[in-house]
Amino acid sequence: MSDFATTIAISLLLLAPLVAGGLSLLLSSSRWLHVTNLTSMGTLVAAEVMITRSVFAQGSVTALGEIVYIDALSSVILFIIGTVGLACSLYMRSYMDEQVVHGVIAPKRLNLFFFLFHMFLLAMVTATVANSLGVQWVAIEATTLATTFLIAFWRRRESLEAGWKYLILCSVGISLALFGVVLMYYSSLRVLGDVSSALNITQLQQVAEQLDSHILKLAFVFLFVGYGTKVGLVPMHSWLPDAYTEAPAPVAAMLAGVLETVAVYAILRCRGIVDQAVPPDFTGGLLAGFGLVSFALAAFFILVQHNYKRLFAYSSIEHMGLAMVGFGVGGPIGNFGGLFHLVNHAFAKSLAFFAAGNIHRRFKTVEIDEVRGLTTVLPWSALALLIAGLALAALPPFALFSSEIQIVTALGSSGPPGDWTSQGARFLVVILLLGSLIAFAGLLYRITGMVWGIAPKGVVPGEQWSVGHVPIIFLGAVLVGFCWALPPPLQQLFDTASTLLVKR
Amino acid sequence: MTPPIGSQLVDLGSALLLLTCFGIVAQRRLSACVDLFALQSIFLALTATLVALLTGIHHIYIAAALTIVIKAIVIPRILKKVIERLNVSRELVMNINVPASLLICGVLVMVAFLITQPIIPFGHLLTRDSLAIALAIVLIGFFTMIARQKAVTQMIAFLVMENGLFLGATAATYGMPLIVELGVFFDVLVAALIAGIYTNRLQDAFDSVDTAHLSELKE
Repeated sequence: MSDFATTIAISLLLLAPLVAGGLSLLLSSSRWLHVTNLTSMGTLVAAEVMITRSVFAQGSVTALGEIVYIDALSSVILFIIGTVGLACSLYMRSYMDEQVVHGVIAPKRLNLFFFLFHMFLLAMVTATVANSLGVQWVAIEATTLATTFLIAFWRRRESLEAGWKYLILCSVGISLALFGVVLMYYSSLRVLGDVSSALNITQLQQVAEQLDSHILKLAFVFLFVGYGTKVGLVPMHSWLPDAYTEAPAPVAAMLAGVLETVAVYAILRCRGIVDQAVPPDFTGGLLAGFGLVSFALAAFFILVQHNYKRLFAYSSIEHMGLAMVGFGVGGPIGNFGGLFHLVNHAFAKSLAFFAAGNIHRRFKTVEIDEVRGLTTVLPWSALALLIAGLALAALPPFALFSSEIQIVTALGSSGPPGDWTSQGARFLVVILLLGSLIAFAGLLYRITGMVWGIAPKGVVPGEQWSVGHVPIIFLGAVLVGFCWALPPPLQQLFDTASTLLVKR
Repeated sequence: MTPPIGSQLVDLGSALLLLTCFGIVAQRRLSACVDLFALQSIFLALTATLVALLTGIHHIYIAAALTIVIKAIVIPRILKKVIERLNVSRELVMNINVPASLLICGVLVMVAFLITQPIIPFGHLLTRDSLAIALAIVLIGFFTMIARQKAVTQMIAFLVMENGLFLGATAATYGMPLIVELGVFFDVLVAALIAGIYTNRLQDAFDSVDTAHLSELKE
């Protein structure tokens, strides 16, 4: 594929959400807003497929005067953004319109929603394709700004509270990451001299071995804590359950499925550079350590939840922790497992929030105990919830099962990073298995209770077919399918990306 | 100007920035906090200009000018409007009282110097010690965020952190690439606007901007 076509594809990737966002502000009919949204998402996915093809052909792509850098790792993240984004857009077609019909939001505010949604997408795409670590930081901070009002979109007291916590905590966390970026620049300037490209990933990768290890270590700690806040790692996670509960369902799906993944990507990018100058045990230990703690604590919180949206929020923390363990342990299996886990989690979590959104609209409650008899009230959503729940509990035949097994295998065979005795390593594997057992029990117990039983009085039974069901069926099928066979291009993409991670 | 005097002047500027931090921590009147923040931003711009003058790197001038416009004029105005509209003039709820806060901030400064000790020798002669002061300002901002509960004060604390980061970038690297610098300014401005709108919403919903009232979401 020619360079010219790739440049066009990359421009489309960035322009689609930008133009759609601008248009959304001008449009007022919900029909046209949805058309704009779906067109822009379609363009984004098409552009991303084209870019991935040229990444296959060339290894990595730089474009637009070295501003953009895309390799297999960024392509995986773009794949997640595109797929989950498209699913969310289809789901919003029925979800948002119903909110307008029911008078939850004024029709006039619908265009604001779409504007913010597109800006959110633009920021995430920019963070993924940016060559400069500084631009990446700016884009990730921009996601915070775009989503604050999205989280508080219902304008209830609780949503305002959740939005404020999110804004403050994430801005503060991200500020720490900026200090890390400054330190990265500090270290690279000493080698590269004062050039404005000294923060570029392409430049940093070339000189990484000559960078000073003291500065890089300090930089990575700041970057990890900063972006880790955005990932929702314990103990920086406290904004996450509130935000996921109060955000409109498609926004929660995007936050859980995509935003967390983009933050993980930012950490992995920096790690790729730091690892060349510092023994990989340093970054690996941080990742695996925080990952394990997040995983174990979130598993316990899953057990005691009474609110099904919070349940999924804690399950996000749990799975992100697990993916971090995978990346921390490293090696071909650990990295592939971590990456594959990110993808599967994104799909399962959006499916879960789509189901949760449907349930919330019908039952008007988030209490698990008050939701009963979903099989009669909302049969399709009940199926979706069951699939998402079983997948998130990492049961076979769902894809999260295979990725979780890979991560546990990696930890068991190569052991955690650092000097651990075989006894200590075994102990960690036991913790990991115990945690997944607890999470499994918690999720299954809560979800089966909601699915079966007799529906409470006053809840209208029956589910009408809508466009919003298309992504639900699609995601469910993918989650089952990925466990058995990955389509060859995707397999190749994940393989290439995890080799990139191993090499560094 | 000889380098020793130049570097001493930069140190003086950084020290003044740190001093205003302590002022903000000790101050209960919100409008005075905003004034102190504006003053801090002016010190920051002056320090940056000094660095630009001594090194001859031109893009720092742009950043300094933006600091004056955005952080010393526009954002303080937004914050003053918010305070006026909300009719809150004093920080009443303090999780940690003023003397204890000042002591903790003193410790934070020492911690900052301790952390940056190993990497300071790599720095430019001119701005060597400013990196430690920058980290100290970031940490103090972080602490203020925890110790104070009014939404306005938390916003100021965030902006103070941002000032510390900017000082760090100027000190350690003579400023980040311009495109990054501009992006950061844009983000800070939008964040301030959002927080301004947001505090209004909070006031309407809770009749208060005391974040202690934000406690409906519990396990």
